[in-house]
Amino acid sequence: MLSLLLCGVSIALLPVIRADECDIISVQDETPAVGQPFAFNCTYPPLTSGKVYVTWYKYPSNIPVSKNTQSRIHQDQNWILFLPLAWEDSGIYQCVINNTDTCHRIHVNLTVFKKYWCGASRNSRPYSLDEYQQILHVGKDDSLTCHLNFPKSCVLDSIKWYKDCKEIEGERFASWGIKLSVNNVSAEDRGNYACQARLTHTGKQYTVLNSITVNVTEKVGNGRRIPKIIYPKNNSIEVQLGSTLIVDCNITDTRENTNLRCWRVNDTLVDIYYSDSKRIQEGIESHISFQDHNFYTVNITFLEVKMEDYGHPFMCHAGVSAAYFTLKLPVPDFRAYLIGGLLALTGAAVSAVCIYSIFKIDIVLWYRSAFHSTGSIEDGKLYDAYVLYPKPQGERPSHDVDTLVLKILPEVLERQCGYRLFIFGRDEFPGQAVANVIDDNIKLCRRLIIIIVPESLSLDLLKNMSEEQIAVYNALIQDGMKVILIELEKVKDYTAMPESIQYIRQKHGAIQWSGDFTEQSQCAKTKFWKKVRYHMPPKRYPPSSSVQLLKHTPCDLTAGKWEASVGFITP
Amino acid sequence: MQRGLSVIRPIVGNIQDNNHLVWVLQGQTLISVPGKHGKVPVTIALIPCKHPEALEKDRGNPVYLGLKEPQFCLLCTKVEDQPTLKLTEQNIMDLYNQAEPVKPFLFYHNQSGTTSTFESVAFPGWFIAVCSKGDCSLILTQELGQAYTTDFKFTVLA
Repeated sequence: MLSLLLCGVSIALLPVIRADECDIISVQDETPAVGQPFAFNCTYPPLTSGKVYVTWYKYPSNIPVSKNTQSRIHQDQNWILFLPLAWEDSGIYQCVINNTDTCHRIHVNLTVFKKYWCGASRNSRPYSLDEYQQILHVGKDDSLTCHLNFPKSCVLDSIKWYKDCKEIEGERFASWGIKLSVNNVSAEDRGNYACQARLTHTGKQYTVLNSITVNVTEKVGNGRRIPKIIYPKNNSIEVQLGSTLIVDCNITDTRENTNLRCWRVNDTLVDIYYSDSKRIQEGIESHISFQDHNFYTVNITFLEVKMEDYGHPFMCHAGVSAAYFTLKLPVPDFRAYLIGGLLALTGAAVSAVCIYSIFKIDIVLWYRSAFHSTGSIEDGKLYDAYVLYPKPQGERPSHDVDTLVLKILPEVLERQCGYRLFIFGRDEFPGQAVANVIDDNIKLCRRLIIIIVPESLSLDLLKNMSEEQIAVYNALIQDGMKVILIELEKVKDYTAMPESIQYIRQKHGAIQWSGDFTEQSQCAKTKFWKKVRYHMPPKRYPPSSSVQLLKHTPCDLTAGKWEASVGFITP
Repeated sequence: MQRGLSVIRPIVGNIQDNNHLVWVLQGQTLISVPGKHGKVPVTIALIPCKHPEALEKDRGNPVYLGLKEPQFCLLCTKVEDQPTLKLTEQNIMDLYNQAEPVKPFLFYHNQSGTTSTFESVAFPGWFIAVCSKGDCSLILTQELGQAYTTDFKFTVLA
């Protein structure tokens, strides 16, 4: 008897024990409105797809929910149905799913709340968890859905739609089945909607009211789905062999696109085509998002451009779109070469002129030494230069002038350079009339050398010397002779000089004496003597026999050193 | 205007359909439910396959389809001779970086207007579908009619 009783108790407890042992596979929260029909389907795909036994319990009760269709709360197939919900229905409900060898539990926390709708204050709760959320697309024909999920025993009809508590009317709206179609959606269509349906169950009627929060999406571009490659444009790019090159592919596409963007060569991804050398690589894609489209950039990098790359199409792909570029060698710019050549020539000419003006004297002297023979010219002249100098008068002998004229000039010009000078006071025959000497001999000379000393010394001398006047006159007027003006010291004021001297100075310039008056230190290669020699006739003449006897260094040879120790012999 | 990160990453977004059903994760299953404040839709991750040349052209962009969080991907396998959609733990970037297309995980993403379809690459003609009323799991179907919805709206999240 006792064992029978225990057996009965254990049979009664069996489902309870088994329910507690079942795994909870889902915990869900539901917040339906009081006074309305509410249904919850115990479904857990794929678990509930096959044949299963579902039993509903209200925790902590071990007694299953009634299956009597007349009961306010009852199980209908896998559903639990509340017709309608009452405040006291809040609580935990569990459905136990059994199949042949397993069991699972779904845990539902039900919180009944008061739905404030139209006319009632909504301040307490702007959104409730049971409010549906739906989206309409601006500019399109779209629709809203009234979700009425109840078991098949419930008949739902007479659906009415409301927006902001007003029943929806108008041409743009049409209710069919559980849907409300909205044509040509605009931004004003956002707002709080409600759909109301009549539910009939076993002859009783109830009202279901769903709240729907409707948002609208921004207008979606022009609906263009084909990506647009902005660059490259099947163009060619000039690039030097061996250089590094980066080329961007710029693409615009919709925000929702799933197009692959990549660089290919020979229909192979560049990273695969050049997987060994990695000489050409695809860069990492970046994009900028705009309201209705994305702007993508993906580059291709040539670490070093090689000959094989030229003329080969490098293709940027974006979904079905593709565009390429090719490489080409830069064309030489002939115009640039021409301008460059002219500039180089001009530069060379300018620098040649500059060099000549700076080294004119050296160049001329070198030319004479290199290309002129030492033979004499048959021009009927006997001397190379007539030397005119202020003579010492009375008590003021001019030692410097004498040294220059009688010692240094012959030493350098005659002995070193082989010129023949006529020096008045040295070369005239005794007893000859001064005027005749000058007149006769000046005609035999190729140059006239005038030695000028500063005014204090020379002024009077020049002015008083008739021979000088004659010589200068002859030189300037009759023979067109070249004059070499040598200033012994810097002449500050030429206005005090005779006009003829001023004229010569203006026309030919003057050479400023530099150096001291020790004849031993004179060398034909100093700057002063080079200037003098430059103005002397180009031809060198064989020195006089007495000078030739001496061992000397010809002055026009660039090499060689002047030996100061060699003696000087006047003829 | 927003500048993208300079690393390859999937496109993320939400999926809805004409019945205003959204995809939510229940356990290890994707189900479609009516969009509600209390239901958090999953964030979908999409990335195109790098090797479309090995696949059929003109059916759409071959894409890997998964979740942003957790790292699950959808794949198509045969269960008792029936092509079946499954969700499995898988990093989508690992699929993307494979040298060859991983066909079971690939779907031809065909866009027309604002709607998208996802056709199995492994089983051409079979599409991802949801039941029209909601509260059922995602399946593969080759019946493109009233019973199931195969057209989805993919909204990109910034």
